Amino acid sequence: MSSSITRRGSILSGIGYYALALMATAFFAFPIVWMTLSSLKSDADISAYPPRWVFAPTLESYRKLFTELNAMDALINSAFIVCLATLFAMIAGTLAAYGLARFDVKNKNFIAFEVLSIRMLPPMVSVIPLFIIAKQLGIFDTPWLLIAVYTLNGLPFVVWVMRVFIQEIPQSIEEAALIDGCSRFECFWRVTLPLLLPGLAATMVIIFMFAWNEFLLASILTSSEARTLPVIAASSIKAKAISWGLGSAAGVLMSLPIVVLVLLMQKYLVRGLTLGAVKG
Amino acid sequence: MGIEVRSVYKRFGAFTAVNGVSVDIKDGEFFVMLGPSGCGKTTTLRMIAGLELPSDGQIKINGRDVTYEEPRHRDIAMAFQDYGLYPHLSVFQNIEFPLKVRKIAEGERRKKVHATAEKLGIAEYLNRKPAQISGGQRQRVSLARALVRNPRVFLMDEPLSNLDAKLRATMRTEIKKLVTSLGITTVYVTHDQIEAMSMADRIAVMRKGDMVQVATPLEIYDRPRTEFVADFIGSPPMNLFPAHFDRKKGLAASVQPFADSLSGEVADKASSFADAQGQFFVGVRPEHLLIVGDGAEGAASASVDFVEPLGQTTNVYVDCGGHKFIVVTDRTEARVGDVVGVLVAPGKSRLVAPN
Repeated sequence: MSSSITRRGSILSGIGYYALALMATAFFAFPIVWMTLSSLKSDADISAYPPRWVFAPTLESYRKLFTELNAMDALINSAFIVCLATLFAMIAGTLAAYGLARFDVKNKNFIAFEVLSIRMLPPMVSVIPLFIIAKQLGIFDTPWLLIAVYTLNGLPFVVWVMRVFIQEIPQSIEEAALIDGCSRFECFWRVTLPLLLPGLAATMVIIFMFAWNEFLLASILTSSEARTLPVIAASSIKAKAISWGLGSAAGVLMSLPIVVLVLLMQKYLVRGLTLGAVKG
Repeated sequence: MGIEVRSVYKRFGAFTAVNGVSVDIKDGEFFVMLGPSGCGKTTTLRMIAGLELPSDGQIKINGRDVTYEEPRHRDIAMAFQDYGLYPHLSVFQNIEFPLKVRKIAEGERRKKVHATAEKLGIAEYLNRKPAQISGGQRQRVSLARALVRNPRVFLMDEPLSNLDAKLRATMRTEIKKLVTSLGITTVYVTHDQIEAMSMADRIAVMRKGDMVQVATPLEIYDRPRTEFVADFIGSPPMNLFPAHFDRKKGLAASVQPFADSLSGEVADKASSFADAQGQFFVGVRPEHLLIVGDGAEGAASASVDFVEPLGQTTNVYVDCGGHKFIVVTDRTEARVGDVVGVLVAPGKSRLVAPN
């Protein structure tokens, strides 16, 4: 008797959870669906009211994106800049985090805080010095400037997050490797790194996203050669009108790599994002 | 040859973890460092392993000075309390790891891994990951990984403390047999006196960074040098009776409560045990006290506080004019509140120095 009541209760609460989950998903998915639909509509369909759900799809906006706005160049720029910046930030950041987590460094906490302080500076403050430095070095409007900037931007996050992931690995595992015949670096490479993969994946996705979506610095520190996708996307907003179709198409183009990246990393991400939470 | 530790210190800031330890561990010896947590036993072991550098002093392994050598150049193996297995590798790969790092050919690696796994009874788990086997099996894997390359020295840091009591008892004998049959010099750290007593060729009892006494298990049990050793080894611990030695008169002036019966035995040796004030202890193991009738000759009269029958033996807690101590006897008629006589078995009282 009582068990059938609780069973019915658990079914009801199950349905409740599903309904809530569906609502949350709909809430978050709506803008993305709307953007994707808009990118496939003609200008007339976009401005129609009430909105048209059934329409003849067209790739006109994408054509314009690639011809008028040179999206392909921007895509290549973005990919090159962001991939390299992510790679550099991950390598330097993880090694720094390892040092801070494992070695007896003097003033360790001060150094860690110093690294974090880069992050505290409002990006706007650094724009003018960066601009002047770039002019002096002759790297203004080249990918290298943004690569350096994004690497530095991502570094503090990598150091702080990876430090925690490294500290979670029991020291005895590394000590066992040292005694089994590894040098410090071999130990890091053969033992620590494989165990860090989930953390590395999670961290990498996040700093990749930071850099991929970064607009402010990219818009000021580039003019034509090194323009990235966010800058292109923003140029669909003109002084007199907003080109919704073009903007949506740019938005879809920008989102795709992130979606692909997250899907590829999904296996690691779930483990990485929950690693600190679940012990055992 | 073995291991020579020469006046080794380890300081962490103002704290001295290891305070000038010197010891010679013989080739093939099973040497146990025993002590409560924070006594410096693990730090000493880690310095022998090369995982910590000494603040001062020298460590030699098989005649070679390795004080500042990296662990991998010391030809040692180590087993950890939490096993230290590589979670991303299978049991086979875990055992194979030290051979692989040392670039030993694959065929030989395979042969050695299988032979070692066979010896430790884990051959059927070779394809599993460490997370998929039990604690006892994990410890076997860590032993296999340590032994697979025939190290000269085997270091073990409380390898059994994460196992349940029953498994600990079987692993104890197994480890001892295995290591003895291979003739490897072993340094074993534990806080468990039973492990130390049952496995060691020699025990070093450590306290606050010092090696208080280094001797064979029975020597330590029979003749604990200090109050700390007497209290730490043996369960129930040794009874310690405060005694006083008057340096001017050169005699043991008092031993409470056995003033009459003990003085003679004690007097001639007392001066080397007594501290500056002439304080020392006379220690008697609980099983060396005899319960006799009240008023028997030389017996101290005591009242029974509590009786603990354990089956094979019985612990009797007695109170003798404010001195409380424990007598271990066979089954006894004594009841709480009885007044009995307590006698020290002849030749069984020991002198014990204060800490």
